[in-house]
Amino acid sequence: MIRKEVQAIMNYKLTTTTENEEQKGLLGSAFKKMLPLMADEKKNIIVAFFAIFINSGLTLSGPLILGYAVDHYVQTKQFTGVLLFAGLLLLVYLLAFGANYIQMKTMGGVGQRVLYKLRNLVFTKLQELPVAFFNQNKAGDLISRINNDTDKLNQFFSQSLMQFAGNFFVILGAAIFMLAVNVRLGFVTLLPAMALLVFTQLITSWVKRKNLESLQAEGKMSAEIQESLDNFRVIIAFNRRDYFQEKFKKANQENFHSSVWAGLANGIFSPLYDFAGNVAQLIILSYGIYLVVHGNLAIGLLIGFFLYSSRFYDPLRQVASLWSSLQIALAAWERVSEILSLESDLKVIVHERKEGVASRNKLMEFRNVHFRYPEGKEVLHNINFSLEKGKTYAFVGPTGGGKTTTASLLARLYDPTDGTILLDGKDIRSYSPEERTKKIGFILQEPFLVTGSVRDNIVYGNAEYVAFTDKDLENVFKEKHLENLLARFEHGLETKVSGNADSISLGQRQIIAFMRAILRNPELLILDEATANIDTITEQQLEEILRNLPKETTKVIIAHRLNTIENADEIFFVNSGEIKEAGSMEHAVDMLLHGKRQS
Amino acid sequence: MAAKKQKKSQNSIFSLIKVYKGLIFLMVILAVVGNGLNLLIPNIISHGIDTYTTGNFLFKPLVVEFSFAAFFIFLLTYLQGVVQAYASERIARDLRKDIISKISRQNYAYIQSTTTSKLLTNLTSDIDAVKQFISLAIANIASSLFLIIGTSVLLLLINWKLALVVLTILPLIGGTFYVVFSKMGILFKKSQEVIDRLNKIINESVLGSALIRVLNSQQTEYQKFIVANTEAKNLGIQTLILFASIIPIIIFISNATNVAVLALGGHFVITGQMTLGNFTAFITYISIFIFPIIMIGFMSSIIGRAVASYKRISEVLFVEEPKESGSTDTRLRGDVDAVNISVTFDQKPVLKDVSFSVKAGTKTAILGPTAAGKTQLLYVLTGLLEPNSGKVVYDGKAINEYKQKALYEQIGFVFQDSILFNLSIRENIAFSTTVTNESLQKAIDTAELGDFIDQLPSKLDTFASERGTSLSGGQKQRIMLARALALNPKVLLLDDFTARVDTSTEQKILQNINKNYPGITLISVTQKIASVEKFDQIILLMEGEVLAKGTHKELMKTSPEYVQIFDSQRSTSNYEL
Repeated sequence: MIRKEVQAIMNYKLTTTTENEEQKGLLGSAFKKMLPLMADEKKNIIVAFFAIFINSGLTLSGPLILGYAVDHYVQTKQFTGVLLFAGLLLLVYLLAFGANYIQMKTMGGVGQRVLYKLRNLVFTKLQELPVAFFNQNKAGDLISRINNDTDKLNQFFSQSLMQFAGNFFVILGAAIFMLAVNVRLGFVTLLPAMALLVFTQLITSWVKRKNLESLQAEGKMSAEIQESLDNFRVIIAFNRRDYFQEKFKKANQENFHSSVWAGLANGIFSPLYDFAGNVAQLIILSYGIYLVVHGNLAIGLLIGFFLYSSRFYDPLRQVASLWSSLQIALAAWERVSEILSLESDLKVIVHERKEGVASRNKLMEFRNVHFRYPEGKEVLHNINFSLEKGKTYAFVGPTGGGKTTTASLLARLYDPTDGTILLDGKDIRSYSPEERTKKIGFILQEPFLVTGSVRDNIVYGNAEYVAFTDKDLENVFKEKHLENLLARFEHGLETKVSGNADSISLGQRQIIAFMRAILRNPELLILDEATANIDTITEQQLEEILRNLPKETTKVIIAHRLNTIENADEIFFVNSGEIKEAGSMEHAVDMLLHGKRQS
Repeated sequence: MAAKKQKKSQNSIFSLIKVYKGLIFLMVILAVVGNGLNLLIPNIISHGIDTYTTGNFLFKPLVVEFSFAAFFIFLLTYLQGVVQAYASERIARDLRKDIISKISRQNYAYIQSTTTSKLLTNLTSDIDAVKQFISLAIANIASSLFLIIGTSVLLLLINWKLALVVLTILPLIGGTFYVVFSKMGILFKKSQEVIDRLNKIINESVLGSALIRVLNSQQTEYQKFIVANTEAKNLGIQTLILFASIIPIIIFISNATNVAVLALGGHFVITGQMTLGNFTAFITYISIFIFPIIMIGFMSSIIGRAVASYKRISEVLFVEEPKESGSTDTRLRGDVDAVNISVTFDQKPVLKDVSFSVKAGTKTAILGPTAAGKTQLLYVLTGLLEPNSGKVVYDGKAINEYKQKALYEQIGFVFQDSILFNLSIRENIAFSTTVTNESLQKAIDTAELGDFIDQLPSKLDTFASERGTSLSGGQKQRIMLARALALNPKVLLLDDFTARVDTSTEQKILQNINKNYPGITLISVTQKIASVEKFDQIILLMEGEVLAKGTHKELMKTSPEYVQIFDSQRSTSNYEL
């Protein structure tokens, strides 16, 4: 069961279009999904609701007090009463001020914390997902999802949600009030609002789709920008500044187009709600006068009705603009939750039994392993080999033969599409990431540095050394014979490096990656052309360091320089997705020179 | 956008309004007229009621009048919405285009120092802020101002004494804005800078995703992210508190006018200085008067953010461009000279007084240990990196006397790390626009890519993803070579090309180059002596200095360091695969 699940090839490609979109249960389900984000904000939300309730109540009572004062004191010319009510009014506004402040601060806080949590959540999810995910999605689009889309949700939470709720109370209150004062007039006054309700229901999904299209286009554009900026060297050196502009122009134009549409869709609500408000007034005027003429309504009440109707329709107009911000938020949520709903297919499985303890010396074993990348051809066919503890293995073969892929499987960057990989006699999938990465060190073909110092990079991801002082670290370096390598950096551990800049050459990056891996003391150390750009003299030092590693350390070396592999205990020849034992070095050379070669 | 000769003082967001005056004028006019018509509605109603009470009530003209007004309001506000959406998006689009074309005229050093993460924020989040300003703030403020002025006049006409009392709130509110605005600017600037950092962290965690998984360092990445995100949250909350104070204050001040009107107006009515009808009208207009003031309050955060963001954008937009180098665009012969080149990074010398000379059609190797400055030297040779002193000379003319375009059409540069675009293999190789079908084919053949491409599902039209997944290191490297060769270059610069290509392929490729590109000047940075033994010149670079130069034979005699390197490779060099 588990095995099936794990071995199905996961497609991590995020959608960047709006096709195949379900429209069911639009509001409810989306809200339900967002609910966990607000779980520990319950108290704040209750406070905010309370504040908004008070605020709307007070705001609503303002005109009432005003009207009452006019009717009872101004008209009857009792100035003390007027003053008394003016004082009351001031008190009401003061209280409203306090409630308003509390409401905005609380709800804004909720928005900010939800944004914070959501961004953390998405970023954590990214960290949980396997390498395959990153091969299929673009950095710029992911950035757009984590930064922009979450902010759209924040805007809704902090600014719109409460206004939504607040206005809802006001609207409801005004409606009940109108119906209570005069059922017939109240009812006809509400007719345009009902028409609006129907209309809104009808076009909402269209509006949301337009907003989603606009966000997708923005993500695409951001991906385009990120790619071009990251590769700016090539753009300059190949005279393709125009490529950057052209490529961007297209994305920009698409974004423009879909954003204008989103703008038009969002902009339809306000004028329409305005219009409905005006129609309502017309209805009140005509029907009201009709009622007055027939003696069913006092003229004073009619005047009051205009006020109440604007108490109803003014907040409704606000809801109109909030409604579109809700649609934006829902579209943004769709893009964010798409990442959140992905599951890593590299799950840790529960291991039932040791699979045939063939040899206590066997560190790793490939059993009938097949592999293909998502949407690709099979690149490894039925691979079987095993690695013994303490031995050095060389993987040789032409480029594109499957060496790096094999190494990636050893380190469980991917799972085989079929077959099993055993680590210490147990399925590699049964190890937790901590256990596994502690056992297996992998120096990647393209070393990556995090922005910071050499020290940051060397202790990166290494819990053991993070807290070490520079002095302690130096001792460790001596112990591992790494001090000569470190001396190559102008300011030693404090030399500044950055993730993508070229102030540091590939060779230097490889040296840092090498030191980083050695310090981790892995049981299996994989070097994937890890020294390809390092000069041969330094390389000899590296070999010396490798030789001085503990006896039990198993080494897998991928290289095409024979000097780096001449000390190998065993040589595997990797070609066209097959791995053969080469036996001796001469045999390996022979295979390389005469064997079937692809690419 | 007419951003040609903008002065510093014009770098404010309001300068945009000038550029798009037509659109913005239309938007404002629609908003103002629409809202002006809105003012008519209460008039029509009160007129209707008045005529009813005086007995000459005519139903039909009232309805017609009202319907017309309502319809026009609808039409105008909808049109306003359309213009708003169009104007804001168009301005955003144009601004992006301007930024991009500005960036694309910049040199490589500029991109590095500005950082891609900031530029990305400029093009997305900052532009968004400006867009919001255009679409929400301008029309809203214009019509708000119009409403405020309009109702002020009406209030003054009804009862100037009472009106003056009401109007005293305007300077009060103005003062509040001023105080808050001065604090908000810095917060918004910081907020955008945190976004830059978030961008960077996310981007690095994507680029380094494999390493992170190999080291199980997700937690470290998460820590980094959480620090920046926490700062974003704190800044957000600070901004929020300001905003949560300003809005209630404004609402309170505005509402307080009602109190004044009730007390004072009530007094006027009681003392007979004002009719009850006027008093009622006054109260109605007050509510119309208050609404736009509150509206402006809500706009304040949009304005604050936009001002901060536009400032960031204009830093990119109005920065001085590197001057177009020279005018020479002749065909190169291929002589390359490095004259006393020195490069320093953070006070650390990387290249020290490097000089050498390469004759057209010859082959030169630059050899040296890791961190000797070889890559930097190649960057200087292509003009990607500006030396602190010294110059690069092609055919006797300094590199900056050449038109950059003309030069780059003739120099092929193969970078050390593989950079693939999200394009088909064909477009990745024929990346320069000057590439013809023949030169493409010749490049593919020379780079020994034919067999590899043939077995791809859609041959040359197969897509290579951003980070070149599922292509091997050697394949990517050869695509990079083909890209450079497809230019039909006179000078070919290889940065450690041999590192990921096996020796037999490498030998074939070198032979192919000799055969297919006769007369090409080749400068190759490498570690392997074996592959460059027959080169016309080998330059030994160590710690940024030229230690020795000459042919292999000469160096074997004169340079002990060279011999040492040679020895380190000799034992197995014949076996290199």
